[in-house]
Amino acid sequence: VAPFEILNGVIKSVKKDGEWKVLIVDHMSMRILSSCCKMSDILAEGVTIVEDINKRREPISSLEAIYLISPVEKSVHALINDFKDAAFTYKAAHIFFTDTCPDGLFTEIGRARVAKVIKTLKEINVAFLPYEAQVFSLDDPNSLYSFYSSKPNKDKDKMIENLAEQIATLCDTLKEYPAIRYRKGPEDNARLADEVYQRLTAHKADNPSMGEGADKARSQLLIVDRGFDPISPILHELTFQAMAYDLLDIKQDIYTYQTTGIGNSNDREVLLDEDDELWVQLRHMHIADVTKKVTELLRTFCESKRMCTDNANLKDLSQMLKKMPQYQKELSMYSTHLHLAEACMKTFKGSLDKLCEVEQDLAMGANAEGEPLKDAMKSIVPVLLNNEIGAYEKIRIILLYIFHKKRGIGEENLAKLIQHANIQADSNIITNLQNLGCNIIAGGRNAEQTLPERRERTESTYQLSRWAPIIKDVMENAIEDKLDRKQWPFICDPAPINTTQTAVSSARFGHWHKNKSPTEYRSGPRLIIFVIGGVSQSEMRSAYEVTRATDGKWEVLIGSSHILTPTSFLNDLKSLDQVPNPDC
Amino acid sequence: MRDRLRHLHQVQSDSEGLSSVEHDHLSVHEAATASSPPDPYLYGVLQEAQQIRLEIQQIQNEISELKDANYQALNKISHPAETERDSNAIGVAIKHRGEAVLQRLHMMSALRAELEARRGSSDPTERIAQTQYQCLSNALREVMISYNDTEMSHREACKQQIQRQMEVVGREVGEEDLEEMMESGELNVFSTQVEGKTARSAFLQTESRQKEVLELEKRIEGIQELFLDVAVLTEEQGGAVENIQKSVQNTEVIIQDAVVQLDRATTFDKSNPFKKLFCCCSFDHCKIL
Repeated sequence: VAPFEILNGVIKSVKKDGEWKVLIVDHMSMRILSSCCKMSDILAEGVTIVEDINKRREPISSLEAIYLISPVEKSVHALINDFKDAAFTYKAAHIFFTDTCPDGLFTEIGRARVAKVIKTLKEINVAFLPYEAQVFSLDDPNSLYSFYSSKPNKDKDKMIENLAEQIATLCDTLKEYPAIRYRKGPEDNARLADEVYQRLTAHKADNPSMGEGADKARSQLLIVDRGFDPISPILHELTFQAMAYDLLDIKQDIYTYQTTGIGNSNDREVLLDEDDELWVQLRHMHIADVTKKVTELLRTFCESKRMCTDNANLKDLSQMLKKMPQYQKELSMYSTHLHLAEACMKTFKGSLDKLCEVEQDLAMGANAEGEPLKDAMKSIVPVLLNNEIGAYEKIRIILLYIFHKKRGIGEENLAKLIQHANIQADSNIITNLQNLGCNIIAGGRNAEQTLPERRERTESTYQLSRWAPIIKDVMENAIEDKLDRKQWPFICDPAPINTTQTAVSSARFGHWHKNKSPTEYRSGPRLIIFVIGGVSQSEMRSAYEVTRATDGKWEVLIGSSHILTPTSFLNDLKSLDQVPNPDC
Repeated sequence: MRDRLRHLHQVQSDSEGLSSVEHDHLSVHEAATASSPPDPYLYGVLQEAQQIRLEIQQIQNEISELKDANYQALNKISHPAETERDSNAIGVAIKHRGEAVLQRLHMMSALRAELEARRGSSDPTERIAQTQYQCLSNALREVMISYNDTEMSHREACKQQIQRQMEVVGREVGEEDLEEMMESGELNVFSTQVEGKTARSAFLQTESRQKEVLELEKRIEGIQELFLDVAVLTEEQGGAVENIQKSVQNTEVIIQDAVVQLDRATTFDKSNPFKKLFCCCSFDHCKIL
């Protein structure tokens, strides 16, 4: 059962005709709910307002409340406080915890006055964000710091336990009991993998249907660390989603732009999620194809509605909107994506085209013709000396140069590069990468570390998009059962794979989000990848590409504590050697 | 999913034996009524929202009725019963109902603004009105889109029938010509060539369908302003209105202690939208609460 069904079902289960309820959430549960339900979904199930448990709320004593919260002290105490005084804040309480409530907190609730008005109390085991159909997040942007900060983290054990529990609820929801593997090297990978195994087994005891089905025995869960591929999160990507999130200011998946609709010119906010069918179609496409595709689709649409226009472009759209307002939804959608694509291209044409060329050459170690890069320093110096290029762009180039060298660079050389680029203030970003196990200073920490050998790729690509994330190789190898067992050990020896088993002809998978078509939940193996420290947009794209290449036989899911953009990754790195913000 | 209600009751009964500061002598019922009196306007807002919701559902019902009427006209089903309405009549009904809903939404919006002005934007009733208003606006738009789709499907079906009838008389008409013909409303295009029973029948059918389409287009034209108004309504609210996170984060933090006082209600003067909206009914209902 997918998260949407669970969450919607939870609210539906306490619905009473003619009675509205208040829904109270904390930060985590709000994020989970928001990523799979819309306001109109919950309104349809009798919720008339959503409140933040940590904000001071006025009583609405004639209505009952649904508390959808994480079983943590802050939220539980807020719950208890709502019913502490003579006047109750709400008429009654229906409580749904996202995960198992620890005994201590449970007893506190039982002993408090709120217990007298609790009508429902359940644990739903959904402690992750279904961000996209094949991408999940655990909503912890501080994760990189928690794992890799220069100061030892005394709460690390607890954190790993929590993380493991969240991953276990993911598998529980998917009804998977995968074989767990981890990348050998960093200690944390093995620790997390082990902890996940324990949690997973505990969940299976309560829910034996996990992993049921012949093909499910082939499902795998891979734990990998961010340091294993430091290139993908910093490279400039030219596919729509990755490019937009890198170059534009998109917060909480909302894109804002200026437009003239039916009314006067104003700001329009658009949520970029899977309810936008056009976004789903375009998000992994190369930017060169995006504008072409949208224009083509818009033209077809206009023709079918007999909207006469020779050149369907951004200016005409507001005219069309006035003439045929019943197509506002579709026209807005086309308008949004035309604007988004145009905004990307505008920023790109500024200075990025040259930069991307250099980046690709460094990442691939060769130019577009396949000739090995002879003098990398020559290509990067002009970039570093260019005052029009921003500090973070320069840092990305320097890092790519260092990784290109494969064995790190000398401290003096690094100092010179930093000076050329004039990025002294941000230079710790570069050295902090050593905390992730990356080889930065030649002969220094991590001197033995090298980036893995790459699979050969023959598919044709755009010149500035030759790089494929390293995780893509891993995905393909895992599916083909070619993933080296020494480098990627199993926690538990898996059942031998019966090679005479017929391959699954067409596996279908339950979808996180509202089902557009009924889900027939059929068996099919899944490959689930968890990256410690953040996952990049290009890696997310790889999950879809690899899935498609298996013709639907396998489904690849990827996720992490949070989703990176190059800027957020560099910001995370910058903070690694600093004292944490006590407010976080 | 794990149900822990029984476990909770266990903990409750275990702790009943202990003397704890948490336990006092107030019964649950007393506690509930000791709470500040319910906001009478909350009931009114929710009632109004429910009424609007029912009206929108009624529009959806009428759209289904329209689908049937259109189908019957297309397939020349024998004369409909007295109680059944024809497409034009239903179209008019939908238009009037839609306009009425739009009016009520405007009033709800005014009410919400009034609540905000008097009580601040963190007042729960104001926010509930906001949520309902946004959701209902969306629902109205959806139902209008559904109406448009229904009429467009019918138009397409008529067009196809015309095309088939033309083929019957040996006239193959291209897409462009067909559209032009329908737009121009020329009903007697073939009259000179009509000979023989089949051709005559085909001509009559075509004439019927063309008439259908013309009436349909008139209906759509007539409701165009409603489409526009609804589009403006939803455009004003912004695109991310359905996003739960945004809805939760938009609420202001309450900086001062806010205790709802019943006497606030009595200070509203006669000209306020509350009274206009609730006119004679609500106060009696509120007293029951």
